[in-house]
Amino acid sequence: MKLPLNINWQQILLHMFNLVLLFGGLYLLLYKPVKKFMDERAEKYKQMDDEANEKLARATAAETEIAEKTRKAEEQLALDIAKARREAEDEADSIIKDAKKVKKQMIIDAEDAATREKNRIINDAREEIAQLAVKAAEKVLSEKTSVEKTDA
Amino acid sequence: MSKKRRMLFISVWLLCAAAFLVSALLLKSQTGGESVKETMRDAVLHESNRISFFGFSVNPAVVSAYTVTAILLLFALFVRVFAVPRFKSIPGRFQMLLEQAVGFFDNLAKGNSPHKNRFLGAYVFTAGSYICLGTFFELLGLQGVTTGGASISLPAPLSDINAAIAMGVTSYLIILSGGLSGNGIKGVFSALKEFSLPISMSFRLFGALLSGLLVTELVYYYVGLSFVLPVFVGVMFTALHALIQTYVLTMLTAVFYGEVSEKTPKRQKEKKVRRKKS
Repeated sequence: MKLPLNINWQQILLHMFNLVLLFGGLYLLLYKPVKKFMDERAEKYKQMDDEANEKLARATAAETEIAEKTRKAEEQLALDIAKARREAEDEADSIIKDAKKVKKQMIIDAEDAATREKNRIINDAREEIAQLAVKAAEKVLSEKTSVEKTDA
Repeated sequence: MSKKRRMLFISVWLLCAAAFLVSALLLKSQTGGESVKETMRDAVLHESNRISFFGFSVNPAVVSAYTVTAILLLFALFVRVFAVPRFKSIPGRFQMLLEQAVGFFDNLAKGNSPHKNRFLGAYVFTAGSYICLGTFFELLGLQGVTTGGASISLPAPLSDINAAIAMGVTSYLIILSGGLSGNGIKGVFSALKEFSLPISMSFRLFGALLSGLLVTELVYYYVGLSFVLPVFVGVMFTALHALIQTYVLTMLTAVFYGEVSEKTPKRQKEKKVRRKKS
């Protein structure tokens, strides 16, 4: 049976055979190698991208960790400073208190010493005055005696 | 070149061209040649001009098809041997062109059939290359000798109905295989529902390429139209058909392949189970 439009089954099959031949050849020689190269390159860039993202994530985590540590260190430092200040203030108070005590003691001691010195000086002066009085009396007496002798 | 000499050259050139044109128009065409009707009929049906191909008496398009395949496979072989091993991560112009071609068809396959596309990508790449180069092939004007001893210009392979049917049927078989691999027998039935596909794809290709061929044949048939006009008509028709038909057939194949190979969710069974429970 002759088909219209010069349709010929044998030629259709020849064309299909040609297409299959072309498909296999092009797939093996061109499509597959080029696609493989493109896929490998995409995979490589994806891997690089993943690595970069991972590094970025790690860097971000490290940054956060460092920030946290810095914050804690600053807090600790502030606490230490406050503590040191408190201790220094306590120490200063204690030193001042001691100094005041010492000062007071020194004043007391000085007053005692001054009192003792004063008393000693007064006593000395008294003794001296007494001696002078004795000497004066002796002198007066001796003068009186000599006058009487002369008169006599 | 001085101004006088340039003017002289242009005048002689135009005079020569005009002389040839006038003599060609005045000369009567030889009797015994093909009439317009015969030319057109032969361009469509290829009944009279046949070529012997490995013992088969075939239409010239068969020879064209195998020539196109040979050109493509030789090119692919050269690329595989000389270009692919020298591919770089940052591509040069030629590598870029190849990657664009492969990437275009691969993306077409991925875009239309996201679940199953490896085989489809390779097929649409082959079909696209074949249709595009096959259509441009007629511009080469390669000569073939008919069984009658006459010399004819080899046409585009797909301007032959047999080649167009082969391409349409192959594409349909590929779609059918997509349905089978994606959904089993169910996929085959959904592909068979589109039974008009091979016919529509075949005749779309045939019609589009034949129209270009007929217009070009018509233009060449009359000597008066054989100057300047064929450059636009022939080349523009061929280029447009090559690009449009490549895109249309590959797109249709990819769309239908994606449609029939997409796994259908088992909704009905779930509904039945719910009904039983309720």
